[in-house]
This record gives sequence, structure tokens and C-alpha cells, in this order.
Amino acid sequence: MGAVTPLGATVADFWSGLSTGRSAIVRREFTAADKYSLTLPVAPVDGLEERIKGLGVSLMRADRFSQLAVLAAEEAVAQSGIAFDEETGARTACIIGTGIGGQSTFDDGYVAMLCRERRPHPLTILKVIPNAAASHVSIKYGVRGPSFAVSSACATGAHAIGVCAELIKSGAADAGIAGASEAILCYGALEAWKAMHILASETCRPFSKNRNGLVIGEGAGVLMLEEEEHAKKRGANILCRLAGFGMNADGKDMINPDVNGASGAMKLALKGVKIKDSAAVYINAHGTGTLLNDPTETRAIRSVFGADADKLIVSSTKSMHGHLLGAAGGIETIAAILALQNGVAPPTANYDVPDPECDLDYAPNNAKERDLDVALSNSFAFGGLNAVVAFEKV
Amino acid sequence: MAEMEASLLEIIKEHAVGLTGELSRDTPIADLGIDSFSVVEIIYEVEEKLGVEVPFNANENPFGEMSSVGDLIDALNKLIKN
Repeated sequence: MGAVTPLGATVADFWSGLSTGRSAIVRREFTAADKYSLTLPVAPVDGLEERIKGLGVSLMRADRFSQLAVLAAEEAVAQSGIAFDEETGARTACIIGTGIGGQSTFDDGYVAMLCRERRPHPLTILKVIPNAAASHVSIKYGVRGPSFAVSSACATGAHAIGVCAELIKSGAADAGIAGASEAILCYGALEAWKAMHILASETCRPFSKNRNGLVIGEGAGVLMLEEEEHAKKRGANILCRLAGFGMNADGKDMINPDVNGASGAMKLALKGVKIKDSAAVYINAHGTGTLLNDPTETRAIRSVFGADADKLIVSSTKSMHGHLLGAAGGIETIAAILALQNGVAPPTANYDVPDPECDLDYAPNNAKERDLDVALSNSFAFGGLNAVVAFEKV
Repeated sequence: MAEMEASLLEIIKEHAVGLTGELSRDTPIADLGIDSFSVVEIIYEVEEKLGVEVPFNANENPFGEMSSVGDLIDALNKLIKN
């Protein structure tokens, strides 16, 4: 796995932040055309300049979302120990999703054209297209199997991983680089988000009564998926099993989530997963900290687990790293896997006033040690698109 | 105040795609044929047309229980910053 997140730009640093309940949310100013300014809480990834330079000239001129994806892929591929030759390259897929693609390139282009009456950068098109990250990763490693981007807003990362897993299951590939990237911390995109009136005023407080919305973050999360026998044959270091994947749509509303869609996706992911004890299950919640998501997700979890729901640990790590939008599923699946490996459920940070409508064990403010067998990562997106990934300890 | 209220009614009327009769404070919101996001769009137009700011956070449920157009106008008036 590879992660570039506001809590840390490697998997180890990410886990260090998660397990200590650190918040990466800061107030930051964004400007455009030396004239426009917006200050708000966000979760940025800082200090990547040297690493990006190290990617070479082709990626230095790519949009940030591609750069973050390749940095995460670098870590995942290195950890997997896979060396891509003619044969493995042809049998490896590359599915890297994004919510919106090259947003800051769009911003820069419009400022150049409308404010400075200049042409946009000559590579603008190649930078903005949502498949740029998948293409850059495929080019870097000579990955020549099925490769494309998927997009489903906040469910993108989970969908990318699930779709790649299905490609491997179907025999179209033996392995796959799967994940997502998002980098929209720029003036235009953030003004558009602000215009929706759902951003938090100070911080992200999932499941608290005084929660008041999202904090946007940036980053990328990438997994190396592999067919089990193929991995065992080459003596791979297997981190966990991708045990299930559920995807469905609410078919109801562009914004408001539906409890039936969410519970349905979780049930699909858990089909074929043997749960011996619900106390050994960790759910990395979608947990955006909006008025509607948190109680709806709580009800959906209760509907899936019944009386056993009270034994689960459910936490929203968005409280610490913000909402990475398209990349949320990319890093939150990694958080779920890390919880499994370490026997520690990361906390829901900034937990303040309890909400009677949100009454599960959210590991408020402090990580919880627990021997875990199964971890779920929930993603319930705008537009009513849901994706849930289930991991089992091996 | 009466002028502001008249302007707000005008804007709400433009968004009331389902309305068959006249629009007044007493008109039930259910008769307007709008959805929850229409309120956000109405506010956007109020800001554009009347040159005011209407800061709000949807997560704080500023529009709570509204049954009539009058309830909506009162809620908007509370939020409008000049």
C-alpha cells in the first residue's frame, strides 16, 4: 500500500497520525489572480516538493492529483516487491480514480485567460483529464493491462479498488494497482465548495451533536491487489485479504443519503465474510460530519448488525485527515487495513457533544486496542453512489 | 422591510415550479413544487439580485420546520446581512 495524506505522506507516518489521534486540519488562505482570497479549515499535504522533483520532468509538469497518485503508487509497488517485466506488465491492471481530476490546472487556466488575457498552459488538456493519474502510473511501471479512471465522487477510491478486484477475479489481470487521488485545494474549487454551505466552520466533528460539516483534504491512496495464488507463488508479503466488495446506488437524491442504499452496500460487502464476533469488527465510517450522513450511517450500520452493532468499533478518520473526496476510499481502506494489522482502531477525533441519534462506539478521541478480524471501509457519495470494501486478516 | 419581503416573494415565485395559484406568506411550502436544494438556489439568487450576503451552514439546520412561505421569508430575513 502507498499513502500520501494530510496526516503523513507515507503509510508509516499516516498510521502514526491515525493511532495517536492527531488532527491535520488547519486554517489556510487560498488566493487567485492576486485579487481573490478565501480562508477556511482544510487538510493539506505539505512538504512534497523534493519528492515531486524526484519523479522526473514528465510528472513535474502534471497536475498535482497525478503527482500525488504516483507518489502513493511508488510506495505501494516498492512494498509489494513486484518487478514489472513484459509478462507481468501485460497482466497488471491500473485503476486510479479521481473525483474531479486536474482541478488546479483548470483554476490556473481560467485565471490566465480571464484575468491575464493569456493562453492556458499548452499541456492543460493532458493535465486536467481525469485519467491522467492512471496513465502516469501505467507509464511509470510499464503496466499494460486494463487501465482507466473511475469516478463516483466520495466513493471513487472504494470503487477503483473494487473494480480492480473484479478485473482480477474475472481473469483479465493477475494483479492491479488500484486507488485514487484528489488535489482540489485551490481558490476556485474551494469557493465552489463554500457555495454549497456544507463546509465546517472550524473542524470536522463526525457523530458529535455540534458537528457542522466537511473539511476538505487532499492526497492519494493506492493498493497493490493480487490474485491469491499468484501472490503466494512469488512469496509475496500478503498484508490482508480483500474479502468483499459491495456497490449499489440509492436511486433517490443528489445530496441526501439513503439508509437502505448504505445498509445494502455493507451487506453486499459482507456476503461470504464469516464474522465470528462483532467485537472483532472495525468499521472505518464514511463519517463526513454533516448533519445527515452521520445519523443515516449509524442507522444503516444498526440495520446490518442488529443487536451486535453495539460491539463494533466505528470511527471516522475524516476527523483527522479531512474528506479527501475521490481519494477518501483510497486512504480510508488503508486505514482499515492498518487497524487490522495493528489491532488498534483509530479514533474519531474532535468528538465533543454526544448526539442521541449517533449512539455507536465511535472510539471518541482516543484509539482503541482491539484484536480485529474484519475491517470495513464505507463510502457513501453525493449522487447516492455507495461502495463498501471488506478486509479480512490473514 | 416591506420592500425586502416583496423582493423575496418575487424570487421565491420564480422558483416555485409547482405553484398553480397566487403566492403569499400563507402559501404552504408543499405547494411550491420545490425540493430541499431549491432553498439554497433561492438564497443564491437573493444574494445576486439584492446584493446582500446570506451566510448559513446547512448542517446547522437554519430552515428547521417550515410549513409556509412566510416561515421561509422569516428565516431568510434572520440570516440576511447587509
